[in-house]
Amino acid sequence: MQDRLHDIVRKLLGEGTIEYFIGYGAGSEPHRVVPCFVTSDHEVERLVWGPLCLQNLSKYVLQAKDLEGKAGVLVKGCDTRAIVELLKQHQIEREEVVVIGVACQGQVDPRTLEEVLGVPMEQVQGVEDAGDQFVVTIGEDERTVAKEQVLLGKCLYCRHPSAFEYDFTLGEIVPFSIDAGESEFAMVEELERLSVEERRAFWQKQFARCIRCNACREVCYACYCKECIFDRKMPRWLDKPPLLSENEIYHLIRAVHLAGRCIDCRECERVCPMNLPLSRLYKKVQKDIAELFDYEAGIELDEVPPLVSFELDDQDPFM
Amino acid sequence: MAVEGSETGGNGFEPKILMFACNWCSYAGADLAGVSRLQMPANCRVIRVMCSARVRPEFVITALSKGLDGVVVLGCHPGDCHYSEGNYFTRRRGLFLKKLLEYVGIEPERFQVRWVSASEGAKFADTVAEVTRQVKALGPNRPRRNAQ
Repeated sequence: MQDRLHDIVRKLLGEGTIEYFIGYGAGSEPHRVVPCFVTSDHEVERLVWGPLCLQNLSKYVLQAKDLEGKAGVLVKGCDTRAIVELLKQHQIEREEVVVIGVACQGQVDPRTLEEVLGVPMEQVQGVEDAGDQFVVTIGEDERTVAKEQVLLGKCLYCRHPSAFEYDFTLGEIVPFSIDAGESEFAMVEELERLSVEERRAFWQKQFARCIRCNACREVCYACYCKECIFDRKMPRWLDKPPLLSENEIYHLIRAVHLAGRCIDCRECERVCPMNLPLSRLYKKVQKDIAELFDYEAGIELDEVPPLVSFELDDQDPFM
Repeated sequence: MAVEGSETGGNGFEPKILMFACNWCSYAGADLAGVSRLQMPANCRVIRVMCSARVRPEFVITALSKGLDGVVVLGCHPGDCHYSEGNYFTRRRGLFLKKLLEYVGIEPERFQVRWVSASEGAKFADTVAEVTRQVKALGPNRPRRNAQ
């Protein structure tokens, strides 16, 4: 697959179809894969593809927008939803970007892998996909781990493993599914069963740990506003002091802004230095939008987002 | 921007409730309640907005997180919006926001959306009384007030 990726990118760059390719490249350590930006032929070899390509690269398409010429980007099935949303929200034009879709077979969560293997990620030389398990190279040894054990949370409930909006694909689009055993929204329902006080205690404990580093905002594909509401001085929506109330306002306003736009890429949770369970918040947003308005972000290009539209016979049970 | 407590000497809690009223229906309804000399508790602070859809969810979140005891949004009845369709957006937003606030531990009674028309002075007074009663029963939004 990696060779095919190199061939396609080399061809596109050679033809001049794209000026710029956004893919994955090897990082500073063998287990780290970082976004990689390729502009010329001899750099193509740097591109990699494997089970450690966690990032959602759609975010970088926005930054490539101001460059001359087209950008190419590598997307997994889940990232395709971001591309669809960006098109829907008129942030990119379809002609401006060449999308290379890939049939993803699940991505490894490094944190879980460390726990399962009992080995720090620094010693992991590489992770290879092998059907329903991963082969992990540690020094001279090779160990196999079942996929269900170490997949990213989102991969367990993946409904779109393969890209569905693309110009080129890498290899065949292969179905992939894992029986996660419980519903996609189980972690939300677990909290919903608690009392209001217990939920308050849970979230206040989480929000209190937030250091407001803004990593979740920076990594979010949907946070493309030129001036973010949290950065505004006049009116100032968010005070600077690290108070619980301000942290709560930050996360709730973000959740509201993501309503009907969150595509469950869970990048916010992955980059959070404090390990806040942000997917529990955003999964709730997705659940409500799906239940109330029968809408899922990033699937259909011509579906109207629920909070910018209405039906005359919408329910209003409490009004 | 800490919100001062409004408890009166430990006996009886007087909640602070923020009320957004749309200029065309609900604010006129409040006026009617006033000129009709209807009695109602003095816990609601009314802010006039041009349309209930002017109330951004951020307003509600900020007010509640900073320790206000309740927020009420009043708008025209569906179909009666001065701007034809503003309150339909309010309706969708209200539904969604209420669920989100409940999820993070804000009692559903603390955020309410109601339709009050210009001729419904009595309904306005009733809404004020009802919301005040409910929020009073819940007690102060203290965990948040103390978080300041």
